Amino acid sequence: MPRRLFSVGLLTLSFALTLSSAQAQSGTLKLPLINDPIMNPVIAPDLGSVLINKVIFPGLVRPNEDLLPEPDLAKSWTITGGGLVYTFTLRNDVKWHDGKPFTAADVVFTFKAATDPKSGSRLVSDFSSIKDVVAVNPTTVRFTLSRPFAPFLTLLGHNAGILPKHLLDGKPLNDATAFNRSTPIGTGPFKVTRVVPGASITLEANKDYYGTKPKLAGMVFKVVPDINTQVAQLRSGELDWVNVEPNSIASLQNDPNITLKQANAVQHFLVFFNQKNPLFAPAKVRESMQYAVNRKAIIDGVLKGYADYPTGTLPTALKKYYDKTIKPVQYDPARAKQLLAEAGWKPDAKGQLVNARGEPFKFTLIVDRGNPSREQAALAVQQDLKKVGMDVTLQPLEFATLVRDYLIPGKYDANLIWWTTPPDPDQYSYYATGQDNNNAFFSSPRADDLLKRGRETADVAQRQKIYNEFQRLEMTNPPVLVLYYPKELQAIRKNLSGVPDLGIRDALRHSEDFQLK
Amino acid sequence: MTLSYLLRRVFHALIVLVMVGIITFFVVRLAPGGPSLLADPKLSSVERQAIEQRLGLNEPLPVQFTKWAGQTARGNLGNSFLYGAPTVQIIMTRLPNTLILAGTSLLLTLAVALPLGLASGMRPGSVFDRITSTVSLVFIAVPVFWFGLLLIILFAVTWRILPAGGMNTAGQEGSFPDLLRHLILPAVVLSAASIAEILRYTRSSTRTVSTQDYVRTARAKGVGQWALRSRHILRNAAIPILTAVGLQLPRLIGGAAITETIFGWPGMGRLSVEAALGRDYPLIMGITLFVALAVVTFNLLIDLMYPWLDPRVRAEA
Repeated sequence: MPRRLFSVGLLTLSFALTLSSAQAQSGTLKLPLINDPIMNPVIAPDLGSVLINKVIFPGLVRPNEDLLPEPDLAKSWTITGGGLVYTFTLRNDVKWHDGKPFTAADVVFTFKAATDPKSGSRLVSDFSSIKDVVAVNPTTVRFTLSRPFAPFLTLLGHNAGILPKHLLDGKPLNDATAFNRSTPIGTGPFKVTRVVPGASITLEANKDYYGTKPKLAGMVFKVVPDINTQVAQLRSGELDWVNVEPNSIASLQNDPNITLKQANAVQHFLVFFNQKNPLFAPAKVRESMQYAVNRKAIIDGVLKGYADYPTGTLPTALKKYYDKTIKPVQYDPARAKQLLAEAGWKPDAKGQLVNARGEPFKFTLIVDRGNPSREQAALAVQQDLKKVGMDVTLQPLEFATLVRDYLIPGKYDANLIWWTTPPDPDQYSYYATGQDNNNAFFSSPRADDLLKRGRETADVAQRQKIYNEFQRLEMTNPPVLVLYYPKELQAIRKNLSGVPDLGIRDALRHSEDFQLK
Repeated sequence: MTLSYLLRRVFHALIVLVMVGIITFFVVRLAPGGPSLLADPKLSSVERQAIEQRLGLNEPLPVQFTKWAGQTARGNLGNSFLYGAPTVQIIMTRLPNTLILAGTSLLLTLAVALPLGLASGMRPGSVFDRITSTVSLVFIAVPVFWFGLLLIILFAVTWRILPAGGMNTAGQEGSFPDLLRHLILPAVVLSAASIAEILRYTRSSTRTVSTQDYVRTARAKGVGQWALRSRHILRNAAIPILTAVGLQLPRLIGGAAITETIFGWPGMGRLSVEAALGRDYPLIMGITLFVALAVVTFNLLIDLMYPWLDPRVRAEA
């Protein structure tokens, strides 16, 4: 009899324990992907892969709510040698999901692979400033840079999740198909337990996680290729968080279970004007575009107001560096015509712009097909430029064709596209002369100098000054026509809390704080 | 039917497959754009070159072709650009899912279309016939994506009685009731158009047969309704119906791209879309050859079935 009582007691105790642990960790968060991800942050080619990697693979640092780097796998760091030597002290309590200890050797391995194009790395240009990386001891890593590079810390927290050396050493990362597709091992708050190709990736809370213990019991990334189906699944509770385009919010606005949140995206949507084409070489012509295109109408009409009005290529999301005192250029077709006249383009009898030789201002604007917001924005640009007398043909193209056959070889006149950048103002590779991503072939010695100094200056106050000057320069000599800085529109079920005020990509690195009620 | 006939047909099939392979090889490579892995404007030229080299795209087209032909002849379809894994392995993980969906939908199609088609063909012009004809016309005309989304909104969002997509609830893979719940909506959508199609074939075929002299004779002899329908009408009406069903069969293998995409069904149709959009050359080639093989095989099997169904064909052969 006493024994039975004892066992009942045990049962009650164990029941109570289960209950309390169930309270500590409960709920499975369900998020959409549009295809099977590559679970390896160094070679991940698309946004979906980047998102799931944020949960599995922490980096040395991570962005906080102000998008500034805070400690993650690294406890602390020092910058010496005139900004050339970064020494990181690593946490000593971190274990890989397979139980092996995390050490400095893993960090060295990751950055050797990340800087080697043969590994399949997509981070080669991000980390081209690294001259050497060594493990001083198991908890200390030292990076030596070949030149001072201010965005270094930000980039470490952007895409550079650390990979396990003991599982991947010896062959190109691309060839580790089993790891990349079904059995990834990271150090993050959730670990992958099951992958069903084409359908889902299931993760459970990592009990050995070094940070705050995860509040969710697990996460599921579901492959839902169609955005309309994603929205339907959000409404039926089969998904908890879907990022949507402004044109699909109508069905969500009246749903009592769903909150619509706006997050700042470090993006600028723009029109490239190919400056190898003599039409667009003069700064006055490019300046006139800012007056000719009614960007407010695009933001209100196409994006339903979910975007910020632009001044230059540095988006408002870079709060620290964005200069609010610069007056944005407002829609003013008369002023546009005046600037064009100063550049030698005057309207003929029919209102068509012609130069002294009587040639028309004629070009083709290309845009990727299939995204309603961008196609409508391109149409608005075409119509506005027609109003000042330009002869603009609109040509929608499949994205891969646009990029490979037109943009990269420079065989286009104008192109509506966008850049998503790391949360740092460095835009050297986009707008400095001859750089890889300067697809508009913009070239200004003044801009080159500012952009070079900007990426080499560590002092924040000085950097602010440099980028404010760059932003001001862009008002009269714009490298591209910036149309808007979009907001990321997050449709989230109301029972999900603990999500920081960040874009989904950075928010997911804080997934241990997420909670489902 | 002789062995030489069979051999000749198999030889023809092989030629078709080789032609399909060669044409597809050049069409996908000459299409504008290129592998989506390379279509990222952010890639630096160093990264771009490394990818081209890894995928073997830096070599001239004739060299690429020779390599591909040699590999394929030895039964190696290569590794997918997107997945890194062998093409055949990827196809084999998706094929069962498509077979489940397409097989269910084919059964549903036959179960609904044959009796309804037979019934309306027996009484052309009746109220029943007019209703089925109108309804089937509507289903032929309705676009699949619209019908799919409509069902999702009704059954998953408004009434919440069926899931809005996927093949299983994550973690319940292997549970048959769970699979069945996920199967209902996509199977209905996929069947809708083919039910209408088969129904109309069955109706017109039945209608033609039932006006024949031998049917009248059988009826005059006092053959019962049931025997009349099954033995005298349906058997004779079967050949055109079989052809129509045969034309639906490649869908069993190729999958239904739109339905699978809307319902997030991890089958061959969606895989084909992904391969095409990503310009995953080896995967496109693999799927195309695989589907071509299936079409050729089904056609052969159906041809072989005719003599069994129709003694006249037997006599000719």
